[in-house]
Order: sequence, then structure tokens, then C-alpha cells
Amino acid sequence: MNRALRMAANVALSAILVVVTGHAASAQAVADQGNQTALPAVTRIDIGGLRKLIKPDGKPLLINFWATWCDPCREEFPDLVKLAAEYSGRIDFVTVSLDDPADIGTLVPKFLSQMKSEMPAYLLDTPDESAAIRMVSKDWRGTLPLTILYAADGETAYLRNGKIKHETIVAELEKVLPKALPAKTIE
Amino acid sequence: MKRSLFLFTVILMFTAGISAQGVAVGSAVENFSLPDMGGKSQTLNDLKGSKGALIVFLSAQCPTVKAYNDKINLIAADYAAKGINVIGINSNATEDLNWVKNHAAEVGYKFPVLIDKGNVLADKLGAGFTPEVYFLDAKNVLVYHGAIDNDRFNRGNVTEPYLRTAFDAQLAGKKVERTSVPAFGCDIKRAKAIAAQ
Repeated sequence: MNRALRMAANVALSAILVVVTGHAASAQAVADQGNQTALPAVTRIDIGGLRKLIKPDGKPLLINFWATWCDPCREEFPDLVKLAAEYSGRIDFVTVSLDDPADIGTLVPKFLSQMKSEMPAYLLDTPDESAAIRMVSKDWRGTLPLTILYAADGETAYLRNGKIKHETIVAELEKVLPKALPAKTIE
Repeated sequence: MKRSLFLFTVILMFTAGISAQGVAVGSAVENFSLPDMGGKSQTLNDLKGSKGALIVFLSAQCPTVKAYNDKINLIAADYAAKGINVIGINSNATEDLNWVKNHAAEVGYKFPVLIDKGNVLADKLGAGFTPEVYFLDAKNVLVYHGAIDNDRFNRGNVTEPYLRTAFDAQLAGKKVERTSVPAFGCDIKRAKAIAAQ
């Protein structure tokens, strides 16, 4: 009897272990999948793609040029993420990485993931970076970060080569927002 | 009064050959004196070659510099024999002397590296990133500045050797066609900016 009870207990314990470890393994698999799918997509663009990207699509547009190896870029990134969320739907925010194209699936999306960035992300890959730099701004010498704010009509409203200052960029963002239509008066 | 002062400043900048972004191509760079990694004072005029000098802004931590280090050494060896001497400059306020020394020893730079404390030379030239280069002729006139080539990841696929092209044209007595090429690199860490943080 005791033996029968022990056997039954062992069977029950084994079954529990199978279920628990099975769930654990499944949970790990889901987590791994989640980690893989959580990495944001980074789109490779050439100079033609960049030319299209710097044209606003009906809304003001903020573009941030950055790289994972650039200290001030990393430092200002959390602020950009926050601002992108605050102005979502009113101003488009995009980022262009100048990292090694070999890092497009590793370092770059990992950093964006850590930052919880939801801004559309691109990586510039062109054999003539000097042409890209000159196309973006004749005053730009390639130092990072560079943040450009375009008004909805495509005019450059603000350009900052260096780490952004929160109060300044907020003031500039407010300036390019479409003006609220005056309330209609009923006569 | 303010307007007169502004105009005077603008005229002074043009006559001194200083653009808003530093020294302009075609303008002479004044002789300068900076300490080397051993603390000994060195001057541009003493270090330059018979045909000129290449000033290259370096960093002990910048990945772009690291990707270029071997190429810079090759350029130094190739052109020292032709009368152009390379002078390395470290202007980064965030990199202390030991770090700079260790990095230089690790790489095995084949040219002197000078320490630009307070970014005096970087400010004078308008240097913004590493590895930004300034090619001066024998009279210290700026001939070319900017990128070394179009392969900053050192993949071995240089199609535009901007600096070597400028060297070769100058040495052959020909016109240097591209006198300035912007490039992506690490920003030079300015002492004032660090102090302000």
C-alpha cells in the first residue's frame, strides 16, 4: 500500500515537474521571441532615400542624426524619445544613424530598444557621405549629433549641431506647430 | 557703436583669413607651439617637412580614429619621404595624458602627437571632429581640410582618397580640385563644454 502510494506520489510529482518545466521552457521561448521581435526595425537608406526623408509629409518634421559611438547623441536621446511621444501626431520625429551598416541589426536597434524609441529609425549607407552632409546643410561639417526641425512647408526652422537643450527645442517645436484656427464668431 | 564694432570684427576676420568655421583654404596658419606627450614644447615650423605638414586631430577613444589609425600611419610613412610630415593633435578635454600616451603606444604612431590643452589650436583652425585633417603647404597655407577618404569603417574599399589626391596634386604642382570634404567623425570634446556640464 505504502509502495503504491509512493508510486502514485512520484507519478504525480513527475507530472507536475513536466508541466512546470514545460511552461517554463515555453515562457522562455516566448520571452526570447519577444526580445527578438522587440528590437526596432532600422531601415537602410542611401542618399536618395535621405533626400526623400528630409521632406516633411504634411507635418513639421524633426530629424536627428546620431550614432551609438557618439556620447552627446546617447545623452540627448532620452529627451528626444520623450518629445517624440509628447508631440506624436503633430510633429514627425525620425532618427538617422551614422553607425557602421554592419551594426544595423545589432548595436543600433539594441540601443533604440533600450531607449524605448518608437521613432522611425534609419541608417545612412552611402559611399559619398560628404555629398549627404552637404545635402542636409551647407553649414554641417559632419559632427554629431545634428538635429534639424523642418516646418511643414519644408523650410528649415531650426538646426542644432551638438546636444539639444530641452527648453530651446521645445520652444522651436511650439513655433512650427500649426496655428489653431480662430474660433468662428456667430453674428 | 555696436554696428561699427561688428563691421570691424568682420573685416578683421576676413583680413586674417579666418572664416566663421576657422581658417579658410588659401590662408596661412600661424606658427604654433604645443607640448608633445613628453611635455617638450614643439612648433609647427620645426615639425613640418620641406613640402608642408599634415595636422590630424586624434582621439584615444573615437572608433572612427581607430578605424583610420593604420591608414594614417601609412600616409605618414608614404609622404614623409616626399616632404610632408604628419603632426598628430589631441584636443579632447576628456582624455588625460596617460590615456593619450597609452593609445599612441598601442597604435604605434609614426609621428609626434601634441597635446592641445584648452582646444587652443582646434579653436584656431575650427576643427570639429576626429580624425579631421589640415594639409598645410611649406608656407603653412591651408591647402586641404576635412576627410581622409570615403572609407571610415576601414572596409578596404576606398574609392575617394581625398587626402592622398590633394597631396599628389600639390606635390605635382597641380591645382587641388577638392579643397574641403566634410565627414562623419567624433566631436572634439571642448574644455569649455565639459566645464559647463
